[in-house]
Amino acid sequence: MKLERTPKSIDLNITTKCNLRCSYCSHFSSAGETDKDLPTEEWLKFFKELKECAVLDVCLSGGEALVRKDIRELIDGIIENRMRFSILSNGILIDDDTASFIKATGRCDSVQVSIDGPGPESHDISRGKGSFEKALSGLRTLIRHEIPATVRVTINKHNYKVLDEVSKLLLEDVGLPSFSTNAASHLGLCRDNADETQLNAEEYAWCVEKLFKLEKKYNGRINAQAGPLASGKHWVEMEKAKAAGLPEIPGRGLLTSCGGVYSKMAVLADGTMVPCSQLPHMNLGRINQDSLADIWLNHPELKRLRDRRDIPLKEFDFCEGCEYIPYCRGGCPALAYTLGGDENIPSPDACYRTFLEAGGKLPKLNN
Amino acid sequence: MSAVSRFPVANPMVIFREELDEWAVLFDPDANETFALDPTSVFIWKLLDGKHCKEDILTKLNEACNDTPEDAPQHLDEFLEELAGKSLIGVEK
Repeated sequence: MKLERTPKSIDLNITTKCNLRCSYCSHFSSAGETDKDLPTEEWLKFFKELKECAVLDVCLSGGEALVRKDIRELIDGIIENRMRFSILSNGILIDDDTASFIKATGRCDSVQVSIDGPGPESHDISRGKGSFEKALSGLRTLIRHEIPATVRVTINKHNYKVLDEVSKLLLEDVGLPSFSTNAASHLGLCRDNADETQLNAEEYAWCVEKLFKLEKKYNGRINAQAGPLASGKHWVEMEKAKAAGLPEIPGRGLLTSCGGVYSKMAVLADGTMVPCSQLPHMNLGRINQDSLADIWLNHPELKRLRDRRDIPLKEFDFCEGCEYIPYCRGGCPALAYTLGGDENIPSPDACYRTFLEAGGKLPKLNN
Repeated sequence: MSAVSRFPVANPMVIFREELDEWAVLFDPDANETFALDPTSVFIWKLLDGKHCKEDILTKLNEACNDTPEDAPQHLDEFLEELAGKSLIGVEK
């Protein structure tokens, strides 16, 4: 992959605080849960460096980005330094006033709200009592103000049976152009609550089949970069390649799953620079002390992550004897770390053979 | 008649993002639009400081390149017109 001179985008965890404690949150109890938030002036100073580095956009998250009392000052700083922005939010604090402010900037690419079900029963059980109504209200407020709003549905043990209903709510009743899904993954708090939150192979397989049907029903308006829909599509592609007798799929058979380190970086709430919000243990330096451009081009840990794309899967004991190696990408480096202790190994979370051995199966396909 | 200033100047609100392969991208954060520049265009862009006229730019191009094509002035005009049309450089008021 082509390396950019500086990162094109930066994910900014502008606060470690959140007004919810979702049972599968990837932030809390991870190394990203820092003991302090940077003061306003530190972020504003850093935004000037981002401008010098020609960073195009930032994604604000946390914790919950909107709990910061200086959020408008921070967004003003982003605008002043000629960047665009997006926000990941639980939606609770989005009111008309906040939405008006965001809209008036003219630079907001999207606000993503987390909604996990068609009603409080399937949403509040993971995210907290009363959170569904407030999240849905926040979403509707964004739409009313014509802000590009998106929704992420995190599929877990408590909501996987209501995918029909949540799709109807979001795509028909609310009228979103699309929404995305992932799954509760072995990161942060989810590691402590895995049994109550994470799907087993049978449930995962059920979701793959259901999401395939819903994606067809709604003409591709459901998308995913992780979780059952994304994995299911990848696994189907692997099965088809194997059935067709292809010796390989180009670019597979190596740890090629994630290209994020070629265009993005992240900063934790205390100013620690990391390769990705999901790799908060990889301290690359501190903002306003270390040069972003220098770290981007020269930090050995970033180079090590970029080099993972050249590591053959056949080198790993975990993959020994697997007939899907020539079609596989090895999975997310963050989950490889939390599950296996190293970013540059295959992730069991995305492993098709593991899924099959655990009793999972793909739906029968017509083509 | 061309709207391009005799001394063209880059729109200061536009982000100029150079890449390692000597290409670059211009990004207008308000319009959310990008515009790719090849290495020759990058060379020209860096001279759009309001101090160099078209003739200066052509002279510097000739100095930098061994085989500047005969129709380079026309290409430069077209390039500057395109930039002006996208509000990436200033125009004559």
